[in-house]
Amino acid sequence: MNASILYVDLTSGQSRVERDEALFREFMGGTAVATELLFRHGDPKGDALAPEAPVIFAIGPFNALLPVATKTVSLFMSPLSGELGESHAGGRLSMALRDAGIDALVITGRAKAPSYLTIENETVAVKSAATFWGQSALATDRILREAESRSGRKVSILRIGPAGERLSPIACATVDGSRHFGRLGLGAVLGSKNLKAIVASGTRTPPIARPKEYKAVYDTLYDRVVRSKEMKKYHDLGTSSNIVPLSLIRGLPTRNFTQGHFEGAEAISGERFAKDFLVQHTACAHCQCGCIHMAELREEFAPYHYSTNRISYDYELLYAMGSMLSLSNPEDILRLLLFTEKQGWDVISLGGTLAWATESFLRGTLSADATEGLTLSFGDGATYMAVLERIARGQGEFYRDLERGSAWCSEKWGGTDWAIHYGRVEPGGYMTGENFAVTSLMGVRHSHLDDSGYSADQKLLNAPKPVEDQVKDQVRDARWRMVMNSLIVCLFARGVYDETVILQGLDALGLSWDGPGLEKLGERALARKYEWKRLCGFDPEAVRMPEKMYSVQTSTGMIGRESLARRLALYREHTGLQDGKTPR
Amino acid sequence: MGVKYLRVVNRDRCIGCFSCMYACSRMVRNSMGSGKASMRVRSYAGLEGAFSIRVCARCAHPDCASACPTGALITAPGGGVRLDKDLCISCKTCVKACAISALQWDEEEKQPLPCIHCGQCVRYCPNDVLALVEDGGTEATPS
Repeated sequence: MNASILYVDLTSGQSRVERDEALFREFMGGTAVATELLFRHGDPKGDALAPEAPVIFAIGPFNALLPVATKTVSLFMSPLSGELGESHAGGRLSMALRDAGIDALVITGRAKAPSYLTIENETVAVKSAATFWGQSALATDRILREAESRSGRKVSILRIGPAGERLSPIACATVDGSRHFGRLGLGAVLGSKNLKAIVASGTRTPPIARPKEYKAVYDTLYDRVVRSKEMKKYHDLGTSSNIVPLSLIRGLPTRNFTQGHFEGAEAISGERFAKDFLVQHTACAHCQCGCIHMAELREEFAPYHYSTNRISYDYELLYAMGSMLSLSNPEDILRLLLFTEKQGWDVISLGGTLAWATESFLRGTLSADATEGLTLSFGDGATYMAVLERIARGQGEFYRDLERGSAWCSEKWGGTDWAIHYGRVEPGGYMTGENFAVTSLMGVRHSHLDDSGYSADQKLLNAPKPVEDQVKDQVRDARWRMVMNSLIVCLFARGVYDETVILQGLDALGLSWDGPGLEKLGERALARKYEWKRLCGFDPEAVRMPEKMYSVQTSTGMIGRESLARRLALYREHTGLQDGKTPR
Repeated sequence: MGVKYLRVVNRDRCIGCFSCMYACSRMVRNSMGSGKASMRVRSYAGLEGAFSIRVCARCAHPDCASACPTGALITAPGGGVRLDKDLCISCKTCVKACAISALQWDEEEKQPLPCIHCGQCVRYCPNDVLALVEDGGTEATPS
C-alpha cells in the first residue's frame, strides 16, 4: 500500500496527492478507510447534491494482488436515503487505481461544464465532456475507450448515463463491462458535479514484500477459486440459479412482495437463461471465477434484419425486472434491462418503484390521468417499456417522479403502505423472513449484502435456532463483512477467504495484522458507520417496516410485529446501539 | 523435449480476467501488478466480451530483432528473442515492429519484455485458453 489519497476539486480543477500511512495502518483500506475520510470531509447534515459533498473511492491491500480481490468501495451522501451512501463495484477499477498507485480518491466540487476526469498515475486532468453529455452509459464507454486508449495498458472507465445527468436518486455509476456502483444514487451525485466519467490507468508495479510467501498464498487462493466448490455456483449458472429454489420456498418476491412463489420462475430461471440466452461469461480484472453472465438478445427490427445486444443478468436483476413485475418472458426482461443499462438506473430500485406503481394503479390510488393513458398491469412488458421511455424523455409529471424511487413517489402519489422500501431504499430480492427484515432495516447500507440474513432465514427451514443466536450471527457477519470490504475481496469469495489465509496474505504483503486486530477492525468500522448514520439522522429505534410486509407470507411464515421488534432490540443490544448510545 | 511454443488455443473461452498477465508478472518478473507481463489480453470498445490474446509468436526470423538498431534482441534457438539489456537504448523500435502487438514494453525499465515461453500463464488460466505446444507451426497465434 502506498497509503496515497488523491484529492480532486472539480470547482478549481486542482488536485493533490497526500500520503496518510497512519490512516491505512489503523483502518487497513477499503470501506473502513473510506468511512474515516467521510468523517473528515463530509457533512452529515449537508445536501447530497451540493458541490462540497465528497465522493470517496477506496481500495484495500488485496486489490489486484490476490484472486477475486476486485471491488472498489464508494462512499457518499445518498440522495435516495439521505444518509450514508455506500456502493461497491468490480470491473477493472480497483486494478486501475492500484496501477496508478492510488489507494483512495476524494472528489469534491462541481465542474463548470460537463466534464470527465482522467487519472494516469499521478497525472490528473479534467477534460470537456460537452460532446457526449447526454449519451448512454454504453455509448460513453465506447467513446472513451477509444479516446483514452493507452497502448498495452488496462484502462478502467466509470461513467453515468442520462439518469445520473438528470440527478435521479436511483441513478447508478457503471464501471467497465456491466459492473455498477448500483445502489443509493452515486450516479446523481456525480451528475451534480457535472462529472460524466472517470478514466483511470497506471503503470506502477510495486515490489513484493515477501515474494515466496506471496506466491504461496496466491496459489492457495487460486486453487480454491478455480478447483474447489466454493465459487462453483457463481462460476456455473451464477446467482440466477437461486430463482427456482427461492420460489419453491416462497422467498422470491413476486408482484411487489405479494407472495414469494412466482409461477413463471422456471421460465426466468438461471437454467432457462443458460439454455437459451447465455453466450459468454466475463470477469472482473483478476477474478478467475468469471461470474458475469452475458445474455444475447436478437431481435428482428425489419423483415430479415436483426439487432443484437449483449446484456448481463443475475439473480437480483431477474427479481427486480422479472418476478416483481410478473414478467416471465426473458426477452421482455432483457429489453428492460438493456434500456436500464443505457440510462444508468439502479435496477433494484427501478423495479421496486415500477412494482409500487403497478400495485397503486391496480388498487385505484393511481389514476389513468396520472399515468397519462398508460394502463399498468403486472406481466405487461410492452407497457413497462413505454414507462421507461417516458421516464427517459421526462414526459409527464408522474414519469419524472418515478425515477425518484418508491418512497418519494408514495409520499406524493399515495400508497405508502405498499411502497416496499427500508430507510427509503428498495430491498434485494428476498422474502425469506425476519432475518432479512433485520438486514434491510438495520444494515448500514440497507442492502441484502450487509449480512447473510436471507441465507439465515433459509437455513431455519431445516435447522431451528434460538432467535438471539440468529441475531448474534447477523451482527458477527456484518462485522466480518467490514473486514472483507476493507481488503477488498468480492463477497462471492467469502468462502474462499478465511481468517488464516487473510492473515497469510497480509503478512506476505508486509502488513502487520493478527486475528484480534481483524476482529477489532470489523467491530470498529461497523460502529463508525452507525455513528455517521446517526449524525445524518438515522434513528435505530425508529426503523419502520413497509406495512404490507406484515400481511404477506414469507419462507418462514408471517413477520410478527412483536417478534420483529424483539429481534431489532437484540440487534441494537449486540451492536451496542441501544439507548441511543453511539457505539465505540 | 523439443522447443516449447506458447499458443492461444481457445480464444473464445477467454473471460478477460487477466490472470495470465498477473501470472507472468508475478512468476517471471517478481512483480505484483500485471504491467510487466510479456503478453496482453486486449478488449475492444463496445464489444462486450470480445477478447484478443496477444502472445509472442516465437518467430524464426523475428521482426522485433531485425528492427533493433543495436542488436539488443537476439534470436533464440527455436525462434523468439532474448534481450541483452546492456545493448538496449530504449528506443522502442522493437515493440513497434511487432505487427501483432505481442512484444510488451516495461514502462519502468524502459525496455522490452520478451516472452520466454515458460508456460506460467498457462498454469494460471482458468479456462485453458493458452497452451504450451511442441510444434509451433500448427496452431495459429495471435487469436
